[in-house]
Amino acid sequence: MTAVLDARNLSKVFAGQPALAAADLIIEPGEIRALAGANGSGKSTLVKILAGVYEPEPGASLEVAGERVGFGPGNSEAAGLRFVHQDLGVVGSIDTVDNLALGHGYRYMARGAISWSREVAAARDALDRLGYDIDVRRPVAELSLSERTAVAVARALSPRRADPRVLVLDEPTANLSASESQRLFDLMRRVQATGAAILFVSHHFDEIFSIADSVTVIRDGRVIDTRSIGELTEDELVAMVIGKELAAADSAGSRGAGGPVVFEARSVGGASVKGIDLAIHEGEIVGVAGITGSGREELASLLFGSRPRSGDVLVQGRVVDRDRPDLSIAAGIGLVPSDRHQNAAFLEATLRENIGVLGMDAHVDKGVLRAAREKADVQNWLRRLQIRPSRTEAIMGSLSGGNQQKVILSRWLRHRLKVLLLDDPTQGVDVGARAEIHELIVQVAREGMSVLIASSDHEELALLCHRVVIMSRGSTQQTLYAPDVTADHITVCTVSAGGRDTEASPTTDRPTGGRST
Amino acid sequence: MTMQDRGELSEIATDGSGAPVANPWWRNRVRVPGLDRFSGLYILAAVLVIFAFTIPGLFFTTDNLRNLGASEAVTAVLALGLILPLAAGVFDLSVAAIMGLSEVIAISGQSHGYNPVLSCVAAVVACAVVGVVNGIIVVRLHVNSFIATLGMSSILVAATYWVCNGGQEIVNGVSTGFTSFGTDQWLGIPSSIYFMVVLGIIIWFVLRFRPVGRYLYAVGGNATGARLAGVRVNRLIFGSLVISGTVAGLAGVLLAAQLGVGDPTAGPPYLLPAFTAVFLGATQITRLRRPNVIGTIFAIYVLAVGVNGLQLAGAPSYINDLFNGAALIAAVALAMRVNRSA
Repeated sequence: MTAVLDARNLSKVFAGQPALAAADLIIEPGEIRALAGANGSGKSTLVKILAGVYEPEPGASLEVAGERVGFGPGNSEAAGLRFVHQDLGVVGSIDTVDNLALGHGYRYMARGAISWSREVAAARDALDRLGYDIDVRRPVAELSLSERTAVAVARALSPRRADPRVLVLDEPTANLSASESQRLFDLMRRVQATGAAILFVSHHFDEIFSIADSVTVIRDGRVIDTRSIGELTEDELVAMVIGKELAAADSAGSRGAGGPVVFEARSVGGASVKGIDLAIHEGEIVGVAGITGSGREELASLLFGSRPRSGDVLVQGRVVDRDRPDLSIAAGIGLVPSDRHQNAAFLEATLRENIGVLGMDAHVDKGVLRAAREKADVQNWLRRLQIRPSRTEAIMGSLSGGNQQKVILSRWLRHRLKVLLLDDPTQGVDVGARAEIHELIVQVAREGMSVLIASSDHEELALLCHRVVIMSRGSTQQTLYAPDVTADHITVCTVSAGGRDTEASPTTDRPTGGRST
Repeated sequence: MTMQDRGELSEIATDGSGAPVANPWWRNRVRVPGLDRFSGLYILAAVLVIFAFTIPGLFFTTDNLRNLGASEAVTAVLALGLILPLAAGVFDLSVAAIMGLSEVIAISGQSHGYNPVLSCVAAVVACAVVGVVNGIIVVRLHVNSFIATLGMSSILVAATYWVCNGGQEIVNGVSTGFTSFGTDQWLGIPSSIYFMVVLGIIIWFVLRFRPVGRYLYAVGGNATGARLAGVRVNRLIFGSLVISGTVAGLAGVLLAAQLGVGDPTAGPPYLLPAFTAVFLGATQITRLRRPNVIGTIFAIYVLAVGVNGLQLAGAPSYINDLFNGAALIAAVALAMRVNRSA
């Protein structure tokens, strides 16, 4: 059988440094191929060469379905390569019909006017074929993330000069909850059934194992190996990606929290959250799980006070003012928010400014900010968290996602906190940095900090948390304690707790070990 | 802005994925001040050389340089106040109208028989109040700063004409002590330049050595992120608008002292030059592309030298606007081009 995609000897050198070295990628028709690798390993460079964004070094060749294709955006599209990039590229303020037209234009015209009824029918049909029944006239911003992804996929697959042969999905599940990811996998299988191959870039190994037929691992710009999923274990894959055995965070030592209650929430509500009560002891790590729309995404910002809330938050028995992040911080609460680009990072500023934005007063002497002192302090933190590059004057935007997240984390760790709230702390972070962040969280909890982690990553919760609160429809449904705190249990509880994605419920029975609150 | 920033002219940049990004070969090998951050220096040098050959007897005279320095000092003071809101990502389009109001109040007060100092204080206080109103509209009423200050600008033009009894120039009763401040010199340098330098040093110090300066840039970089890091975003935006209003008031007093009459049309033409200076200045000298004091003052004098020389060489007076606009677009485009490839 002729390979549908046969790319050979792809290299790319940036400023004398190889970002990709002689990479080969061969995909068979109808195959779902995962592309795995840490941040900065060369995954994106490879995808961008295929998409024609970067031009490869001389010597590279590309064949699609046996025919030679040149490199460049027009060429790869004409040959049937279709791309859905991580940010999806859909326009939120316009509806699905218009978004699809951005890809191929309006196809049904009558006497110079758009025939809306036929456009709507065609859009509905395109989404239906992907297994999505959505209102195609609603602004895309009002759709769920997986629905938006479906719109982007429908646009990529829309008929053009050539039939789609290979669909490239660049981290399509990065922001999706477990059940939404399931819906996307269903979509991918439908695409596969049409005979097109899929190249699927992902950080999540469990996803790779549940959807992909085979996986290609890239490390330091080199293709390490391509293996069939059936002959691979998850540990082997992790070792291939990071090039060493992953040291599991020592979570056992931090378990057990008999200390006093440090943080308390009393009937906290707001957004989709309704009256949550929660107490966190000294040194305790509490997880919050729940599907999209359960209130899990909003809880951390409500507790921090950056989102208007009802109810009270107390630190060591003292009530903290609402809607005042600065007073929350003064009371000893910190928040590592989700979506660091929007909510935390100053991308055009230096690492020193990113870290130093908190606790600047410590370096003010007689009214003057002492830059040298601040620099030394920040330098210390960059080293301690192994942030690369470790220059205080490096620009935040030039760092990889994992390093950026470590910068945000060090901003808070440097500040003496009593309570640290984390909202999806390892989203879009490579495995190496993920493990380092996990170790840091365990370490600060051991030193007495109370930690709350709201996360869609259930393995992360299982690894770190003493107990996990399951949220559904805005309130806490149940609490899992050790030994029931496992990724599978958490997943089962979140989807069986009465969420809206009932079709995605796993077949496993509800666990008996979970204690109800 | 500092020596240590200048030491890193040709470092290897990386993109978001951590992969190094291509540098043109000549950027790696030739360690010269880059076209991006130092384009203004090149323009200045070229212009000076041309004038040295073509019109040496006209351009390089003490009187010409003195006049140039003094008249541009007003624009510079206005632009210095504007740096603060722009650093926080907030527009203040009303600064020129505020300056115009201050100019006529300072003169009008004297023509009504009040003490010149009192008149000037009244003018500046009125402008501070306008800044407070701007701040309330933006922070409390949540009106976009661009729209709020555009509207305020129009209101202030009306107020300025009202002070001038419907648009007449005020020429009577202006104290000679006041106008001589506008033309006085100390050690051969016009007084307005000292004023600009002192104000520039204060704002430079605040932006660089006070936490509030860093907070302003943080708000400008990512307001949500700043708020979640405990920065009092609304307070800073409010404060920056009060200060830009107050400083525009000071610029108006300076302008009044130079003009010696209350001219209701005097303020608004300064709007574009002030914004041009801050935007152009943000691309110059500093590694981080932000509104800053040194870049702003530098930009003003680069533009002024160019315009002045062209006029002395016989170019028509509208060359001023043409040169300012073209230089802004060219310099920023050049900075962006080099920035993208670096």
